[in-house]
Amino acid sequence: MSVKIDPETAVMDLPRRDARDKLTGRTRYMVDMAGSDALRAVIVRAKVASAKIVRLDVSAAARMRGVRAIATAADAPELHGIGIQDQPLFARDRIRYPGEPICAIAADTLEQARAAADAVLLELEDLPACFSMADALAPDAPILHPDWKNYECIVDGVARAGNIAWEAKVLRGDVDAAFARPDVTIVESCFRVGRQSHMPFEPRGALASYEDGRYHIITSTQVPWTVRAVTAKVLGVHSSLVRVTVPPVGGAFGLKFDCSIEPMAAILSRKTGRSVSLVNSREEETTTCLCRENADIWIRSAITPEGTIAGREGVVLMDAGAYGGEQVFLSTMTAHTLGASYRLGAARFSTRVIYTNTPPNGAFRSCNGAYNAFALERHTDEICQKIGMDPMAFRKKNVLRDQDLGSTGQVFEGDVLGPMLERMEALRASTGTQEHRAAGRLYGRATTVGTWNIFVGPSTATVNLNADGSATLITASVEIGSGSITQGVPQIVAANLGIHPSKVIVKGADTDAAGYDMGTGGGRTVVSMGSAATAACAVVRKRLLETASELLQTKPENLVLRDGRVEIEGRPGSGTAIETVIARAEQTQGPISGSGSFTAPGTAKAMPGCAAGHFFDAMDLPVFVVHEGEVAVDPETGEVEVLAYRVVQDVGRAINPRAVRGQIQGAVIQGIGYGLHEQITIGPSGAIEQTGFETYHIPLAQDAVKVDIDLFEGAPSCGPLGTKGVAEVAIMNGGATMACAIANATGKKVQQLPLVASRVLGLVEGFEEMLEHPHISRKWSDNILK
Amino acid sequence: MDVQFFVNGEERTFGGDQRTPLLDVLRGDFRLTGTKSVCRGGFCGACTVLIDGEPVPSCQRPVGLLEGAEITTIEGMAPVGELNLVQQAFLDHDVVQCGMCFPGMVITLTHFLGSNPMPGRAEIKEALAGNMCRCTGYERIVDAVLSICPTEQAEDQPPVPEVSER
Ligand code: FES
Ligand code: FES
Repeated sequence: MSVKIDPETAVMDLPRRDARDKLTGRTRYMVDMAGSDALRAVIVRAKVASAKIVRLDVSAAARMRGVRAIATAADAPELHGIGIQDQPLFARDRIRYPGEPICAIAADTLEQARAAADAVLLELEDLPACFSMADALAPDAPILHPDWKNYECIVDGVARAGNIAWEAKVLRGDVDAAFARPDVTIVESCFRVGRQSHMPFEPRGALASYEDGRYHIITSTQVPWTVRAVTAKVLGVHSSLVRVTVPPVGGAFGLKFDCSIEPMAAILSRKTGRSVSLVNSREEETTTCLCRENADIWIRSAITPEGTIAGREGVVLMDAGAYGGEQVFLSTMTAHTLGASYRLGAARFSTRVIYTNTPPNGAFRSCNGAYNAFALERHTDEICQKIGMDPMAFRKKNVLRDQDLGSTGQVFEGDVLGPMLERMEALRASTGTQEHRAAGRLYGRATTVGTWNIFVGPSTATVNLNADGSATLITASVEIGSGSITQGVPQIVAANLGIHPSKVIVKGADTDAAGYDMGTGGGRTVVSMGSAATAACAVVRKRLLETASELLQTKPENLVLRDGRVEIEGRPGSGTAIETVIARAEQTQGPISGSGSFTAPGTAKAMPGCAAGHFFDAMDLPVFVVHEGEVAVDPETGEVEVLAYRVVQDVGRAINPRAVRGQIQGAVIQGIGYGLHEQITIGPSGAIEQTGFETYHIPLAQDAVKVDIDLFEGAPSCGPLGTKGVAEVAIMNGGATMACAIANATGKKVQQLPLVASRVLGLVEGFEEMLEHPHISRKWSDNILK
Repeated sequence: MDVQFFVNGEERTFGGDQRTPLLDVLRGDFRLTGTKSVCRGGFCGACTVLIDGEPVPSCQRPVGLLEGAEITTIEGMAPVGELNLVQQAFLDHDVVQCGMCFPGMVITLTHFLGSNPMPGRAEIKEALAGNMCRCTGYERIVDAVLSICPTEQAEDQPPVPEVSER
């Protein structure tokens, strides 16, 4: 009995249910929860980048006034990590980056905990350090993890060696032959990007307690089940002993896609028998931010006289910082970003994740996609310049179309990017351009394309139907500000049950109540959790319709759910209120409830042997963007004004168009921030030099521009009702578009992000250093292990 | 020495360290957690409250200076269960995302509209120089404010056509 749901019934500009409390200051985020009964904790952090720990003595600190407990490496015996288990909770015998946790102290007040931190004795022996990837790759470089061979890895048989934490490779077709063709033009480019810091308004932290022999962690996270698993792992306890609950999260952007300091609070709560609040200060949050990594990229292409791409090769060096973290996993995405968007004759890419003695990096909205799009689109414009082809014509000719092969041999379904480029031209025609506002400054416009993947994967949901006709949706998804679990998924549930979304109660994430979910991020919630909820609703619908069929004396397949009623198809008013059916079901078989699950459909396949070291070889749910920006560059100061910005985004089906546009607006401004303002620098001792909002410049209102948006619907999607994730990918081409537009404005070769005024001035005046990447070999065999 | 002042119309006393930022007194002692602690440096505006009618970052005000002051926090911007015009506009325009900046946004903009009832787009953006938002990209905040002002469009920028193709 698979009754079709009319997707249009899900489409509405549903307002946010959490807006009223957020606007009146009544929402309690994690940082608001600790009352006077909770102890306050601080982390004692390493001040150096690389050292051997000879002695740690906390006995004096433990005797200080108000101190209740101290957690050290002895309390957290095991290593953790997403792809490689290489990271201790507290530095054990070795410090690998400035800011690495040494121990954590709980006291009655924050002041007391801080005072005690100063009394911790740490005896160190300096070790040599690598602060850049070039340092770490040098033949005689000190090895950060001498024990790297013994680390547990999630995927076996991956090429790794010393400071090369991970290597992912793509190889399809005969690239050497493509480059050897006598008729091709070869274009080669080098790029470099700095880190981007998330700066969520709510920092990372946790409020932990120890209840009935179990840890209860209230935390600001995107991944409650990861926090549960990692806490159990590092503490060496069974994961059933950890409960994680998540209140509304005050900004995340990928930063909270990993367990961080939660286990420290958990240890301290067990030791003290009290609630313990541990929250990063703004300075700690900024200087230990799991940033979008800095990266070095080399790419070259062989272009035929017809203007097609016969071959492409690239090397991407991703800075992991001191531990592998997300970068290991994200190395997979070179194939699907730098290797995507365009039809390639032959392709090979090597992506290396490099250990350095700097703070570990992590995931940030569109992750490496944001800089791979920058590199790919600047490279594309360099190709166009060299062969004398119009950049729009080149893109239209070469973007992936229906049945084209991706870099790993995946067959793409549907003609998406091509029509999107046409829609961008139509959008521009409707808005007009803003060249007249450049007023004597250098004007540039650029159109860029990008490909990203929606990270599907396991989710489960339960839907309980209540006697009052409402439904309770129980999941481990988190409200991080994107609205996916407070707008998107309830809209899908409501459409499935024929009720209004305001009648769908959304239970906050609690690992004791909801089943496993991979996490809220990567654009996956509406797709994966939406699919799990759809499956749960199918169970609920079946029981509802069977009961109604008895009541109404008609076959279930003749029934429809609409406006809180069960109606006989084609005869409005003939049926009965859903409450009546629920009451009947309660009497006859018990309350109506259903659970459902979802994971990757696994339909997308790469060509065998094309990819090595990847977490997935093909994309289950590709998603595309076309961005266009117009800039004015002041040649005297290097300052850039964004005059206009346009987006055509592949959204599958926009079930809440207004909310989708809100996500795109917010993400684009973050992307422009990445392109222009947001600069993280690593100092001479390996530390992040920016400490907060005064030195790290996120866009202000006056830096923002209103984005003109066209939602491209109807591309193939495995998402429920044809949806795709929308909030993640919208940031992706911000940096790319700024870079290409500024290159067009200045006529200069833009190789680096961010394009802060001093760099732009350097380009205009010709004193910006040109990158050559001597640490990346031009010989393929040098860029791969074995 | 105790300091006495009014918070949302109620007389309150604080007997602790006079150097304590008002922010911490509100959040820690009075548990008025709507005022957000984000940068603690006067940059982000999430901690903004009204002190004697003026918007001030509460992280920058030692409580000892506030004897007799009238303080309004986000909790006091509208009667319980009600919204003021700015809050209502933010709700109606689906502006809120993570929400952390909005207590400060509401206070700054409510005050701003009191003295500038007919602002243009650029003026509203200028008024937000001390209120950051990491999520929304600001424009919808500005749209919402303009929606409750007598003139819809600023003169300093041409109207941007709304493209809505679905
Ligand atoms: S917390 Fe006071 S201005 Fe940021
Ligand atoms: S809504 Fe998140 S900081 Fe403004």
